[in-house]
Amino acid sequence: MSRRAGSQSGGVPWPGGVRAWARRHAYSLLSSLGALVRHPLATLMTVVVLAITLSLPTGLYMTLDNAERISDGWERLDTVSVFLDVEIAEREAVQLASLLSTWPGIIAVDPISPQAGMAELTGRLQLDDVSERIDANPLPWVLEVTPAGGQDIETLSGRLRGAEGVDQVVVDLQWLERLGAILALLERLAILLGVLFAVAVAFVIGNTIRMDIHNRREEIRVLALVGATDGFVRRPFLYSGFWYGLAGGLAAWLVVELSLFVLSGPVGRLSGTYASDFTLASPPWQVVATLVLGSGILGVLGAWLAVGRHLRAIHPS
Amino acid sequence: MGGSEHMVRFEQVAKRYPGGIQALGEVSFDLARGEMVFLTGHSGAGKSTLLKLIALLERPSRGRVLFDGRNVGRISRRQIPWLRRQIGIVFQDHSLLSDRRVFDNVALPLVIAGVAYPDIRKRVRAALDKVGLLEKERMYPPMLSGGQQQRVGIARAIVAKPPLLLADEPTGNLDPELSADLMQFFVSLNELGTTVLIASHDLDLIRRLQRRVLVLKDGTLADDVPARQVAAP
Repeated sequence: MSRRAGSQSGGVPWPGGVRAWARRHAYSLLSSLGALVRHPLATLMTVVVLAITLSLPTGLYMTLDNAERISDGWERLDTVSVFLDVEIAEREAVQLASLLSTWPGIIAVDPISPQAGMAELTGRLQLDDVSERIDANPLPWVLEVTPAGGQDIETLSGRLRGAEGVDQVVVDLQWLERLGAILALLERLAILLGVLFAVAVAFVIGNTIRMDIHNRREEIRVLALVGATDGFVRRPFLYSGFWYGLAGGLAAWLVVELSLFVLSGPVGRLSGTYASDFTLASPPWQVVATLVLGSGILGVLGAWLAVGRHLRAIHPS
Repeated sequence: MGGSEHMVRFEQVAKRYPGGIQALGEVSFDLARGEMVFLTGHSGAGKSTLLKLIALLERPSRGRVLFDGRNVGRISRRQIPWLRRQIGIVFQDHSLLSDRRVFDNVALPLVIAGVAYPDIRKRVRAALDKVGLLEKERMYPPMLSGGQQQRVGIARAIVAKPPLLLADEPTGNLDPELSADLMQFFVSLNELGTTVLIASHDLDLIRRLQRRVLVLKDGTLADDVPARQVAAP
């Protein structure tokens, strides 16, 4: 018996071969889960902290994602509205429209009659009886000009202003540009927060593992006394870190989904007032996978930091 | 293995603890393979230190400690687990895990070695049976008496069938009858081929067993009495 033990190990890092290695891993995995289950309240508290920490950047990311989807819908507003003089009648308006459509830098010109404009306006404001109350339609003909991509809008609107019969040229782009800039800024902020919170997650888990090591120093001492390798002692803590991270990531996903559900009602009512059927999108599976696995890996990383520092202090000799 | 005829060999070993306390000074002796030896002396004579030096729980300040012909002083940190798996140790304070069942405590050395679970169960139950605690396998150590805990520690020390068994005051907490039973148990282990070194101050018991006795006094080897000269009471 002793003979076998001697020839098996002989200072080799994997005494007993791959099967023994797999058994030791299985033991570490189970014992790490057991350690978490034995202290359900402490485990729950850590997981809740992790879930909240992780749900903040994820929530911000989802907000941005949804905001970008809304603003994508507004890309059609990337047009120039040319308001014609009120005296301009249908024939002249259509003529002008076909003339402008021949201009370089213009893809399409869409004439909107005063009647159509009124209908759209009343519809949008839900003022159905306005047109009945107003005798004469005060709206002019409007030409919706769609510029070619890459066309400098300022130059184009300047040329349009100079055209015969044009009253006003409205470029409704500035706020879109601002919105884009704000979204880009928030996106950068989300990345920054994501990195900071990732570091926080690693440290929260590292600190939890550090306390875990402290509480289990007797076990570590005994394991070392009966011949456990450093790796064997270390492994359950690394697994614990992974479980913490995984559970934190899953709980964060739950928090985000729950928040989206809670917000879906008000968001639906708000978008209804804009005659839009916009709904909040849930995080796609890639985001969920990144969140859950990423936080698991962060957990291992945090545990590794703690174990490396504190195990040597406890381990005899 | 079987490299050396000596299981353990001390060559002018001294151990000085930080703070200048000299625990051992110039101790030399051999422990032959298959021998059973008692180590005795007053408390503080250096018995525990001597045992610790063999299992590398402490490193010698001077001299050489050889285990199976190998200088343990030159064993690297990474190889310490290999050494400890060759040695079953019964600790004075039991060193059991209070939040693990008796079964799991005894199974630890086998789990560490990566033994398959059916094998673990068989061997743990056999070891518990030998120390008479099979019916306690599902209990937790704090539910047991001091003597029972001591026997759990012994079961753990022998479960992996190490070639060398070290025991530090294994009968310290036991009544005379149990002590005698336990010593008889060590004798039977020895007869099956295990080298046994027991630190004990129970001189009556030691005399009765008629084995070689090493006497430590103030950190030096005061006497080395061969088995045939140990007088029966």
